[in-house]
This record gives sequence, structure tokens and C-alpha cells, in this order.
Amino acid sequence: MKRIGKFFCAIGFLFPLLVLGAGSAYGQVSVKASVSETTIYSGERVSLSIEVSGDFNNVSRPDLPEFGNGLRLLSNNPSTSRSFQYINGKSSTSYTYSYYLVAQNKGEYQIPAASITIDGQTYQTDPIKVKIIDRNESAQSSGSDTPDIFLRLDVSDEQPVTGQQIVTDVVLFFRDGLEVNSYQPVPGWKAEGFWKEELQNTSRPQATSTVINGIRYRKARLLQFSLFPTKTGELEISPYKIIVSVRSARSRDDALSSFFGGLGNNQRQVELSSDPVSVDVQSLPPAENSDYLGAVGNFDISRDISTNSATVGQSIEITTRFNGTGNVPLISKPEYQLPDGLEVYDPQENSNLNRRNNKISGSKSFTDVIIARSPGSYTIPEKMVSYFSPEQNKYITKTLPALNFEVNENADAVAASNTPSALPVSPVMGLASWTTPTSSNFLSNWWFWVGILLPIIVIGVGYWQKSFIQKMNTDKAFARSQKASAKASKRLDEAISLSEDGHIKEAYNMLQKALTGFISDRLTLPEAGLDNADYVQALEDHNVDENLVKNVRMLLDKCASISYAPDTTHAYLKSHVGLAQSTLDKLKKVL
Amino acid sequence: MAILCRKTILLLIIFVGCSALSHAQQSPQAIFDNANEKLEAGNYQQAISLYKNLEAENTVSGALYLNLGISYQRIDSLGKAKYYFMKAASFEETSGKAKQALKFVESQFSRQSAVLPKLPWDVATAWLQDNIGAENLLIAGIILLNIGVLIFVAHWFLSWHPRYLRLSGLIVIGLSALIIVTSFYTRYVSERYSKAVMVTQKVPVLEKPQQEASLISQAFEGYTFTVDHYRSKSKPGWSYVRMSNGLYGWIPNSEILIL
Repeated sequence: MKRIGKFFCAIGFLFPLLVLGAGSAYGQVSVKASVSETTIYSGERVSLSIEVSGDFNNVSRPDLPEFGNGLRLLSNNPSTSRSFQYINGKSSTSYTYSYYLVAQNKGEYQIPAASITIDGQTYQTDPIKVKIIDRNESAQSSGSDTPDIFLRLDVSDEQPVTGQQIVTDVVLFFRDGLEVNSYQPVPGWKAEGFWKEELQNTSRPQATSTVINGIRYRKARLLQFSLFPTKTGELEISPYKIIVSVRSARSRDDALSSFFGGLGNNQRQVELSSDPVSVDVQSLPPAENSDYLGAVGNFDISRDISTNSATVGQSIEITTRFNGTGNVPLISKPEYQLPDGLEVYDPQENSNLNRRNNKISGSKSFTDVIIARSPGSYTIPEKMVSYFSPEQNKYITKTLPALNFEVNENADAVAASNTPSALPVSPVMGLASWTTPTSSNFLSNWWFWVGILLPIIVIGVGYWQKSFIQKMNTDKAFARSQKASAKASKRLDEAISLSEDGHIKEAYNMLQKALTGFISDRLTLPEAGLDNADYVQALEDHNVDENLVKNVRMLLDKCASISYAPDTTHAYLKSHVGLAQSTLDKLKKVL
Repeated sequence: MAILCRKTILLLIIFVGCSALSHAQQSPQAIFDNANEKLEAGNYQQAISLYKNLEAENTVSGALYLNLGISYQRIDSLGKAKYYFMKAASFEETSGKAKQALKFVESQFSRQSAVLPKLPWDVATAWLQDNIGAENLLIAGIILLNIGVLIFVAHWFLSWHPRYLRLSGLIVIGLSALIIVTSFYTRYVSERYSKAVMVTQKVPVLEKPQQEASLISQAFEGYTFTVDHYRSKSKPGWSYVRMSNGLYGWIPNSEILIL
């Protein structure tokens, strides 16, 4: 409704309302326009009603607009009806002007606003949309199997999230010509996968007109449920069954006439069952933190404490309240981080559901009862709590502020407490020895690996040494070969000693023994009975370097011919010993 | 004027920096002394807060745990008092006092738990862990292993009763291997299982780690559990426990303190 008038007039009208306060209803006028059908067959007659109600004195006849091509006004003279009410000392009047229109051409039209003057003020009705359809086309398109009466479940959302409230209407459709006298739900309806609550409706079901597949039906919402999906996936709302008592109608013009229309002779009872409805329940998006309490809807969350100053032993209540619309009973209790020294009792839980206004709303409260065991200042830290809002498709997080309270000593309790139960241990007040606990893995300690590897090495070395000794004792050739170098060195030393003592010939003899002994020991040659050529030949057979063989041959020749060189000196021998030493070192590497 | 202003700001920064540094460098003993003063003055909450700061910095002592236990006992939080007395009992310098305090605290609990005797093997393992320690046991085993190997190797070289040397070497090696395995087992047991004390008033021990799971038993403040870390690892927020009466079940981590 729109009101037209001068600004000052409006102020003049509103001012008494503000002054009167509670009596604000006084002087209010409402103007409403309505049509008997919003979907009309072409050629069909439809009534347009303009109802003026409230407390007023003078009212003019409505000023009707141009209806255009779609509708034609049958008569400019309306039929009027008037009613008067006097309740609690306040009077109200209702005027209804009824006009008849005829639908002309199919299409969608809008009945423009009509204006009416009441006590000098001009009011306008809201425009009304209507649809005109062709009766013949509709009849052809609709099948012959269209039922006269049927039941349907209408859900508010077919893709809800878990825990979201979806309102399900049980709607009865029946054709013109039928009257529904009464209905009785068949008990035992289950909505598996949902938590359900029946909503309360104070008013009786109202039948309204609708056209389905070109056929006019009257429909009435019989019952209303709130369903809360408890799991995700494709869930099916099972068929709802009712038993209705129907009979032929007298008139369809009156909205109430075809519902609870009274008893008649051709009355019968029919059991109706709705089709099942599939709902695709989506899972909630993953919560970013652990503050989500299972609440889905729109809530106002608060927390308060019963007192900010208590004594030891006195109970303190921390109450958390959730008010709003949604799955109120499914909200879980937030866990608070309580300071030490508080005795916590089982929390109390209260919920209050409101099933009116076409949805479930209400409040739920959790009361934590705590008792302080010792005096002091306590702080219950602030707490973040979250609920999921399907409208905004996100989690809404609210912060409950920190609660502070003081606990004082209870004088009576102090007097009552006795010392015998005191702890028989006094605290340590002096110096303490500080440590930093470390946890180490065995395998990360160096000493573990040393301790394990050392015995393995000892066994390995010991075994090798044992085998060597054993071979030296049992294998003569091996022993000769191993001792050859030391024996040769000893003989060379002896040769120098003999030379120093002036025994040059013996010294050269010893030098020869050193060379031949080394070669025979290394090559496992007989210890005696070989001449110098045999040793040289043996070296050549073992592919010893030619220069080395040459040196050996030269040294052996020198040793053999020393008897013919009476002027040989110690220095000369020493040079030969030096050459023999280097030759033996080289031979050691190749033999 | 600008120079004076700059100097003032510089001095202020130095002063704030120095005071922050001195605070940061406050020694554990100084914090401990401060906490002790609060405890003596009856400011138990503040004393606990300071003691816990030390504990959080991983600087601990038997005295710290003993005084924490006493502070909790003073505010009548006996579960936590028991927990800290148990910790203090593992330190040589406070072992006696802590055991005395534990005895007292145990007597204060309104509900006592039945205790099923442990299996001899468990008792032995616990004794080894508490009195010798897995690491000491391992060191002893390794030393013995080396001695055994030396004796065994000696029989290859010494002509003095080589048979006896060999036999005794093998026996010592076998013994050392046993000790090393025992030390590993003791460490495994001590890492897998821990003692825990219930610090809240009452909580159900459940068959599964779910709030709606069937009840095994009710546990009360001060009850001692053995936590199986290996099994608990798969369920964050829950601990698989053996109660002292031999029953097994799941308990929320928030209800217990693990030693």
C-alpha cells in the first residue's frame, strides 16, 4: 500500500500515533486489493475486492484504473459490504468494494493500482499480477489421468547442507467441485536421515486457487515440518499419508467453502500418499578451526557469569546462550579452558523451541557450575565459537569475551579447616640443581658405534694375525719368503761388520749370501747347490727387469772375483753393499 | 633542540634494550626464587605460572616439580599435585620428600583405584629403567662385549688355557648381547608406554576413541594410567590407556597429564 498526500498531512497523521505510543493501532487505515483467482481462463469471470479497514469516518468509492486488453470491467458499480468491530474500547470499520472483471485475451497482465480517498487522504492499492490462459489449449495439453485430489510435499531447499533447516509443507491439491471436510494424518511417517519437528500453525488451512497443467486446482497447506539432515548424500523424504473426507462442492467462489465445507450425503474417505522427495544433502565446508559447535542457522551467542566476586566453596555459574533460528537442539557445548583450582560439575543444559512462524527457532543454554577451591583472581580466557550460516554459505565466528572473577577466603571454611590434614612436606626454598632433559636415540650416539665396531675390528685383525702365524709355522716356503728380506738385511750388516774388522773376503762372501739367499728364499729355490748363473737365470725366468738382473749379475761376479783383487778396501765394499741394498729393495717389489 | 631530542630517544632505546635483555637473561634460579616468594605469600596461581614458565623452557629440577606439586596441593588440585610429585620423585635430591607427599596426596583422593599387580617381566623392565636406565645398561653391555671379544681373541695367541679363554670369551659375549638387547627393549618400553595421571574430576574410559562409544569404566581424579603411545598415535586427542585395575580403554588427552 502506498499513501499519497502532502507531507504536512502525513506529519499530522503520524504525530498522534507517536504521542499515543501503545495505542498506535488507533487511527491506522489499511487498503488492500485482491482477486479471487490469479490464473484465469479466458472468458472467465473474476472478482476484484478492495478492502478498507481501520478507524475512519469518510471513505470515497475507489477510483479504478484502466484494465487494458486483458481484463474488462463488467460494471462500474461495485457491490459493497460493511462490517464494524468494537474491541477493548477501540472501534474499527471494514468496507469491501467488489467488482467483476472478465478475462479476455490470454497472457500475463497486471491490474494497476486503484486509488481511494479516506478522510481526505488518498491511498493506493498494490498492483496485482494475473495470468490468463486458454481453456481449450489447457484441456488438450493435460492428460486424462490427472487426479482429482492429490498430496504433495514441498521442500524449501532441495540442496541443503548437513544440519540446515528445510521447511517441508504437506500440501493438498483438489479440483473444483470437491470439498474437503476433514483430514487425518496417518501416523508413523518417518524421515530417515533427518531430525524432524512439526511446526505449529494457529490458523486453519486456507484454500487458494492454482492451475496445474491447465487444470484449476485448489490447494491448501495442511501441515508443516522442519527437517534437519543429519548426514550427507542423496536422502529421500518418504511419502506422507493422510486420510481426507471429501464430497462435492457447492460453490468455488468462497475461499473457505471448498475446505471444511460441511457434511453431505456423497461424502467419502480417501487415503492419499505424496510422492517421495529426494534431497541432495551437501556436506559442510571444512571448518578452519575446532570452534565449530554443530550449529547451522543464524544465531546470537553470548556468555555470562553469575557473579564476579565469590567466596571459596561458593558455586559460580557460567552460562552460554544460543538464540536464533536453526538446529537449536543439535548445538553442542563449547569447551572452556578453565584455570586450575576450580572444581567443575556436570553442566546443565536447557533448550526452548519455538515452532511458530514457519520455522524452528529458539534458545539453548549451557550452564557450567564451578566452585573455586582457593582464593585468588581467576580468568576464563576468551573463546571463539563458530556456527555455519547457510544463507551466507560460510562459518560465522564470534568471540566470547574473557570472564574475570575474584574468589575470597571463606571465613567459616578457614575456621573449620584443621591443620592435621596439612601436607607433611615443605617446599624447597634454596638453591636447586637445574638440568635440561634431553632424549637421545641410542643409534645417534658415537660411543655406541665405536663400541660395536671396535670388537668387530679386533676380531678381524686377530683372525688375520692368527692365520699369518699359522701359515708361517706350517708353510716353509711362505716362511722363507716372509723372512727373506730381514735375513738379507742382517747379512748385509754382517758384511759391513766383517769389512770393518778387515775381513774383506768374508765380507764379500756374506754379501753374496745375502743376495743369493734372498733370491732363493723368494723364489723358493734350493738353499744350496746352485751357482750364480742359476740365480740370474731364475730372475730372468721371472721376467725381472733387465737392469736389476744386470746389477745382480755384476754384484755376484764381483763377490766371486774378489779373491783376485787384493787392494779392495772397506769403502769399496760399502759401495757394493749399498748397491746390493737398493737392488734387494727393488727385487722385494717384483718377487 | 633536535640533537637533544635524538640523544633522548637513543638513551631511551638503550635503556629499553638493556632492561629487555636483563629480563630475557633472568636465570632459572632467579625465577624460581621469585616463584617461591609467591608461594610463601599464598599467591599460588602466580607461583604456578612462574614455575610453569621454567618447565616450558625445559629447565627443570626436582625442587621445581616438588614446589609445583605443593602449589597445586594448596589450591586443592590434587591430580596435578600427584603428577608433579611423581615427577619430583624421579630426582634424587627430592625423591624422599616427593614420595612422602605422594603418600599424603593419595590418601586425600575420595576414590581409590584397585591395583592389579604387574607381570614380573614388566616389573623387571620398570626396575631397570628406574634404577639403572637403558643407556647405562647399553654402555655396560658394550664394555662387556669388548671384554668378551678381547678374551676370545686372546685364545688364538696365548698358550695359557686357550680352551678356557675361548669358552669364557663366548660366555661374556653372549651375556653382553643379552644386556644390549635388554637395554634396547627397556628403551622401547619406556618410549612406548608412559605413566599418566588423571587431573580432572571424572571422565569415562571408553571402548573406542569416540564420545559416544560404550563405557569401559569411570575414572576419577588421581587415577594412574599407562599410556600406549604406539596405539594412541593414530587417534590425535585421545590416549589408549591401561588402568591400574588391568582394564584398557580410550581417554581424551585433555583429562590426563603424561609423565
